[in-house]
Amino acid sequence: MTGFVSTLVEAWQELRINKVRILLALLGVALSVAALTSVVGVGNLAREGMKAMSERNGGRTATLGLSVNGPTPPDPARLEKAYQGIVSRYGITYSTHVGQAQGGFQFPRGVQQVQVTVVDPGYGVIHRVELRRGSWFAADDAQRLAPAVVVSEAFYNAAGRPDLGRSPTVKITGEQETTAVVIGVVPDNYPESPPMAFMLGAGATLAGIQPTHSDFKVWVQDGQAEALRHAIKADLQTEFPDMYADTYRMDYAANGDPFAVAQLAVGGVAGLVLLLGAVGMLNISMVTVRYRVREIGIRRSFGATSGRIFVGVMMESVVATAVAGMAGVMLAVAVVKHPWIESKIAPALSQYPAFPVEAALLGLGAAVLVGALAGAIPALVAVRVKVIDAIRF
Amino acid sequence: METLVNLRGVTRSVVLPDDQELHILRGVDFEVHSGDHTAIIGRSGCGKSTLLNLLGLLDVPTSGELDFQGVPVQQLRGNARARLRGSTVGFVFQQFNLLQGRSALDNVITPLLYAKGRDFWRRRELAMDMLDRVGLAGRARTMPNMLSGGEQQRVAIARALVRRPRLILADEPTGALDVETGQAVMALLDTVATETAAALVTITHDANVAALACACYRLDAGVLTGLNAGLNAHETAGVGA
Repeated sequence: MTGFVSTLVEAWQELRINKVRILLALLGVALSVAALTSVVGVGNLAREGMKAMSERNGGRTATLGLSVNGPTPPDPARLEKAYQGIVSRYGITYSTHVGQAQGGFQFPRGVQQVQVTVVDPGYGVIHRVELRRGSWFAADDAQRLAPAVVVSEAFYNAAGRPDLGRSPTVKITGEQETTAVVIGVVPDNYPESPPMAFMLGAGATLAGIQPTHSDFKVWVQDGQAEALRHAIKADLQTEFPDMYADTYRMDYAANGDPFAVAQLAVGGVAGLVLLLGAVGMLNISMVTVRYRVREIGIRRSFGATSGRIFVGVMMESVVATAVAGMAGVMLAVAVVKHPWIESKIAPALSQYPAFPVEAALLGLGAAVLVGALAGAIPALVAVRVKVIDAIRF
Repeated sequence: METLVNLRGVTRSVVLPDDQELHILRGVDFEVHSGDHTAIIGRSGCGKSTLLNLLGLLDVPTSGELDFQGVPVQQLRGNARARLRGSTVGFVFQQFNLLQGRSALDNVITPLLYAKGRDFWRRRELAMDMLDRVGLAGRARTMPNMLSGGEQQRVAIARALVRRPRLILADEPTGALDVETGQAVMALLDTVATETAAALVTITHDANVAALACACYRLDAGVLTGLNAGLNAHETAGVGA
């Protein structure tokens, strides 16, 4: 007990006496840890942002696209029956048609052609649609006499930002002039994006909007994706023997994790940053030990054992870098969680993830590791100091 | 009187870079008893400091026998020697060797950081008592660079004695001081050593310092020979550090 407390007292005394030197050394470590943690934190944020954007475009992991093609298009009713049979046979919870069409919408400044994506309610889950206002389609929205429409932020602005609580309507022009109800608003895909809208298939039919081509997508578990892909393709091929049936992955992870390379690069940069911090700390520690050779000799003459000298030198380094590590992690959190940084790194996200705990732990762990490494080598040097020579140093 | 250190036929030699062996001490027989005040004189390079290092368990003999409080030193491992040194031996150095950046009080406290039990927990009180005994209680918070040479050596003496060692080893304790201050410091060292019943071994080339000792030895070319007590300045003429 006395030995442990006295080692701590000694380490604290050293930190107190050499506070300027240690503060300078720690500044380097704190900045290294802040850089390391920030790189990992920013990397994580960028990954989440890219993932959200990819999922918005291609669907969640794993999204399968189904198609049947031939010299003539397949009978729509028969194809739909085949799709619904697959959904019920494999117990698929979320599926959607995705078709693209153009529709004329009446805005306060006149009629404008808007790209309409014709979907099923499952699209919202499969493409992780985030709503700025209102709600996404429910299953019974297909029964509405006035079709429901979910619009983009640009559409909403062009429509004069009406209060969604009052079920604002918008007129769809064309051969079958229809009044639609705006039920939700989604963010624009990119800045200055033109107005866009989503409609359910039944609503689009009511408004006379027919998509030129429609995909059918299902969301399945990642682990079962490959087996299901083959099974569904075989089922479709059996149903349409004279045509070419295909099932394919549409999500971003279809060909492995596309972020693996980026993650590896980020890890490499982080490792380099850490190495630089460690070398800086080691350099300062080595210089410090040489500067303290006489002091170490004097302490040995008072009865300090080699173990005590080793632990003392090591402890100074570890305690100091742990404190610096905490400061570095706090700095990194402040940087990465800054709203301006978040909006620049991950513009696709409307809600940002919490600062990754693993990045904070990595930073702290790295600081302690640097402290231990940068402390161990000088501590070994300190232990090897010959007392007689040291006193005369 | 208890024998603290007993050297029998001790030699110490080192191998030089050209593989030649340099014999620093040759067949030294020497005893230190509790309460002894002994002086060792000799020219520079005659092996005085090597002998002091052996007495203080900082080094081990090449051959011969060295018993410390009856225990053969060669049988002790490094850490055991360090612990025995910490609890039994106090060093006073020529250049004071105070730890810079620490107050006089912190310097005196330092040896107590390696003590166990009550001595560790009462370290501040013990250090203040010792500073009081060397007349520096009022300078406890002063940094070494703000103290005079004499004051620094008094702090070093307080630091050497704070763990109440059985053996005090002083290596040219007055070497960096003027004559008057040196005499005052030696008188203090002598008094405090007597009060604590510690043995005092002083290495010096100062006849006046050597004259204070009860027993005096001359080390010449690694060979230790006894001189009569009450050495006078004439006998030490020509002896340099």
